[in-house]
Amino acid sequence: METRPLGATGQESTVATFGAIALNWLEQEGANQMVEHVLDHGVNHFDVAPTYGDAELKLGPKLRQHREDIFLGCKTQERDYEGAAHKLERSLDRLGVDTIDLYQIHGLEYESELDEITGDDGALAAIREAKDDGKVDHVGLTSHGNPGLIRDAIDRIDDLETLMFPLNPVVAGKDDDEHDYEAVLERAEEEDIGTLGIKAFAKGSWPPTSDLPEKDRPYANWYEPVDTPEEIRDRFDFAASQGLSTVVTPGDPKLVSMVLDAAGRYDGMDEATQRSLVEQSRHDDSPVPEQLHH
Amino acid sequence: MAGESPSQAVPETVETALADRLVEGRVCLEAGAGVGNATAGLLAAGAERVYAVTDDPDHAATVRDRCDDATDRLVVVEADLRQTPLRPDSVDLVTAHGLCNLLDPAALAAVAAELSRVATAGCHLVVDDYEPLPESAAVRDLFAVENAASELATGRSALTFYPASLLRRLFTGHGWTFDRETTLLDPVPWTASHLSAHAGVVTDATEDLPPELGDPLERRAERLAEAIGEEFAGTMYSVAMTRREGDETP
Ligand SMILES: C[S@@+](CC[C@H](N)C(=O)[O-])C[C@H]1O[C@@H](n2cnc3c(N)ncnc32)[C@H](O)[C@@H]1O
Repeated sequence: METRPLGATGQESTVATFGAIALNWLEQEGANQMVEHVLDHGVNHFDVAPTYGDAELKLGPKLRQHREDIFLGCKTQERDYEGAAHKLERSLDRLGVDTIDLYQIHGLEYESELDEITGDDGALAAIREAKDDGKVDHVGLTSHGNPGLIRDAIDRIDDLETLMFPLNPVVAGKDDDEHDYEAVLERAEEEDIGTLGIKAFAKGSWPPTSDLPEKDRPYANWYEPVDTPEEIRDRFDFAASQGLSTVVTPGDPKLVSMVLDAAGRYDGMDEATQRSLVEQSRHDDSPVPEQLHH
Repeated sequence: MAGESPSQAVPETVETALADRLVEGRVCLEAGAGVGNATAGLLAAGAERVYAVTDDPDHAATVRDRCDDATDRLVVVEADLRQTPLRPDSVDLVTAHGLCNLLDPAALAAVAAELSRVATAGCHLVVDDYEPLPESAAVRDLFAVENAASELATGRSALTFYPASLLRRLFTGHGWTFDRETTLLDPVPWTASHLSAHAGVVTDATEDLPPELGDPLERRAERLAEAIGEEFAGTMYSVAMTRREGDETP
C-alpha cells in the first residue's frame, strides 16, 4: 500500500488509516482477526479514541503484539489540563501500551474550546508534558466543525503536527465557507501539517430516527455510507487524490475490507473523474433543482 | 446554513472551463443561460457585464433570482440566440455551457454565426458540451424517446450530442482559432435527478400529441428513468477558441 509523509512527524503513513472504532462492534476474537486482516493489507497507521465504546480494550491485545508495526493515534475530548492528563493515562492503561504516537484533541467545535485548550490550564499543556515524559510523540487535532475554526487552530497551536477533518465529493461541491475544508488542506500543506481525511465514504445523513430507528440502520457509521465496491473505490480514490496524507477507514467493520482493497489498488484519479463525483453529489443533494445539464 | 443552498454554488465544470480565460473586466455573453450556472461563474470571476441570453422566460426569472446580488453587472436577455439584440463587436467573452446539445443542426449553424457576429476581435469563446454517448450507455434509450417525442411534437430533435472536433471546425469556419480542449467530466454522472428532468421533457412534448402516440412514449420514458436510476457514461468537454483580429466572416 502506498505511503505518504504524515506532515513533519517523520512518520510515513499508509494512504489508508484504520479507524479502530470498527472493533467496537466485534467480539474480541473478531476484533483480533480484523486487526490481523488490516495489517495483512499493509496498513501501518491506526486511529482510536476512548469514546469509541470498547475499541481501545479490543485493540489492546493485537496492538501489543504488533506494537512496532503500528503508528497509533488516540484522542481526548477533554479540554482542560486535569481531564486530558487523566484520560491519557486511562487510554494508555486500556490499550496496555507505554506510548501513544499521536495524541489528538478530539472534535474541536467552538472558538471557546480553542481558548481553553491553548490556555495555561488547558489540555495542550497536559499533552506537551506527556511528550516530555515520553508518553506521547506527536500532537494533533480533529474536527468536523467550522473550517475557519480549524484554520485558527493552525495559527494558534505552534506545535500542531496533524489535522483530521472531513473531505468527500459532497463537501467539495459546496462553495460556502462552512464546507471549505479544501482551504484547511491548503493551509495544512503550507505548514507541513499531516492530514487525515474522515467521512470519505459518507453519502448523506441517516433518515430521521422516526423513519429509521438507530437500531435498524444497516451500518454502524455516523453517516449513511456508500456501500458498493465501485462507489467505495471511487470515494477512496477521490479522497486520496485531494492531497491528504491518509484516509481513515469507515466505522462499520462490514465496509473495512472493501476500503482496504481500494486502498491497495489506489493509483490516483484524474481531475475529470474527480469532478464527475462532485457533480454527482451536487445533484443527489435534494436542494439542487432538477436540471438537464451539468 | 444561512440562505446558502448548494444550488448557488458554481459547479466545478464551470469553474474549470473558465479557469484559464480572462473574465475580470470583460463583457460576456452567456448563450443559453439555463439555471444560471455559467452566469454565476462569470459574475463570480469578476465579469464587468454579463448578457445572459435565453429564450425561456422561466429560466430568465431563475437566473435573475439566483444572481440578484449582481444586478448592476447582469443583463438577462430574453431572445432567440439565432438573432440577438446585441450590437456587432460588443462582446469580449462568449460562453455556451451545455447549450449546443439543445440545438439541432440548423439552429446550431445560425447560433454559431450570431455568436461570431457579436464578438469583438480577440474575443474568447468557451463551448462546453457532451461527446456522443457510447453505444453501451443505457441513457441513450431515454434520450431516444426524448428525441422521438420532440420530433413528433415539433419536428425537431430535442438533443444532439456534437463531438468537440465538429464544433471546433464549425467555429474555425467563422474565424475563430482553437486554443485548447479540456475534459470537464469523465464519466458524466447522469443522476436520478437528471433522468427525471429528461423524462419531464418527454411529458411536456407529449402534451401536444394525440394520446395513442404520446402516452406510450411518456410511459416508456418514465420506466427507463426508473430502471436506469443513475448512470455514469460519456464525457463532457470544454473547447476554448479566440476570434482572430480583423476577421470579418460574412
Ligand atoms: C440547459 S441550459 C444550459 C446550461 C446553462 N448554460 C447554465 O450554465 O446553467 C440551455 C439554455 O439554452 C436556452 N436555449 C436553447 N435554445 C435557444 C435558442 N435558440 N435561443 C435562446 N436560448 C436558447 C434554453 O432555454 C436554456 O435556457
